Amino acid sequence: MTKACRWAINITILALLLGCIGVIYKLTSKTPSFMFNCSSELFNHQQAKQDINHYLLVDLLSKEGLVQINYRYFNLDGSLAGTLSMQGVVNSVDTDNMIYDISVKTKQETPLTGNKQTPEHYKYLSYVSSLNLNKKGMHNLSIQVLERDETKDFAVVLFQPSNTVCGCRLVHK
Amino acid sequence: MQLGHCRFDVGKGELTNLESGNVWHLPRAELQVISLLVDYQGKVVAKALLRSGNGEQPVLSDSSVARAVFTLRSFLGPQYEPLIETVKGQGYLLRHHRCRKNSHSNPNKINRHMPKLIALLTISLVLAIGSYLGLIALSGNVIPPPPPLKVSTIELTSGQVIKVLLYAHSKTNNTLLLEQELHMLQSLSHCPSSTWKRIYLSLSHDKQVLNITMRGEQLGQSIIRNLKISDLRQPKQFISKEWVQNVDICG
Repeated sequence: MTKACRWAINITILALLLGCIGVIYKLTSKTPSFMFNCSSELFNHQQAKQDINHYLLVDLLSKEGLVQINYRYFNLDGSLAGTLSMQGVVNSVDTDNMIYDISVKTKQETPLTGNKQTPEHYKYLSYVSSLNLNKKGMHNLSIQVLERDETKDFAVVLFQPSNTVCGCRLVHK
Repeated sequence: MQLGHCRFDVGKGELTNLESGNVWHLPRAELQVISLLVDYQGKVVAKALLRSGNGEQPVLSDSSVARAVFTLRSFLGPQYEPLIETVKGQGYLLRHHRCRKNSHSNPNKINRHMPKLIALLTISLVLAIGSYLGLIALSGNVIPPPPPLKVSTIELTSGQVIKVLLYAHSKTNNTLLLEQELHMLQSLSHCPSSTWKRIYLSLSHDKQVLNITMRGEQLGQSIIRNLKISDLRQPKQFISKEWVQNVDICG
């Protein structure tokens, strides 16, 4: 075996080892925990009809790399209009840019039909997440903190790829 | 002929140390011994042959051959003296070797090794890139959100300034979002004062939902209000006068 071959084998093994170390580090490094909740007023403009309005509460909890997102929809009278729960993992956290990259793996939906209208936001979220889960097996989203003040417990975040800005309360654990 | 860091010139009968530049004009015994060892490189040369040479010169004694070998080894130096190997009971052998120390001074050798070096570097680079891409793939597709598309301010009659920030999915085709910004600024201009300091506007990627986030402060506490307007109609009118009055946009 020539010296060049030996070097090639050594470098290959070294590169593979470095790759493995990187992957192991990626898999085992702990991601920071976070929790926040966001409340929104939903308005649905309709043709020649009165708006159908709802409230939406979103709770986002992440611990040890796992993530749970709960969307709870309410009618104006306070009654529940539907829930959508998503479970997944935090793929990466870019602490410099405060970007959380999340993959949702499973979800549970409980639409409440009754005689009241299902919120449009619920329909949209259900449709998009089902599309991604059925097609790719996961629903990817990223959350970037645009503005944050921990002393006042608030953050303005941007959800992608839906391009949704939302103001949220930070919950300290 | 290269021997370690020395060059043997059989024509001139000289051994030159390429590092120090010393030139040794070889005496008869040393020249005879080294010439025969070079002629039979890699093979054992019998002492009898080393003594007799090509027959044109008087035969050397055993001690002359041994001394010649000794002085040749000394000139080659401690690093390369094992090139001349003593084969017990038979004679001496000049080993095949590759000169390492001086390879950098030989451009031909550099050229010869260049493809191997390039191949090695390419393999290393490919593996490094592969590992990096593997990590990226493992970490999922991170889509860095864009910076604000536009930031504008409005000053109320009270002198208070409100900043309006637009976030878009792309930098093009944002007419609808810019229209909503105008509606929002017009609506805010009617407010004598407001609790809001910053207002974020964003349109969902399918342009069906307008998200409004208003952030301000009241009694030292931060206050946040999120409004999400769905409008499936055409043309869309997310922000209307009636709607603005109903939601009390001034805060």
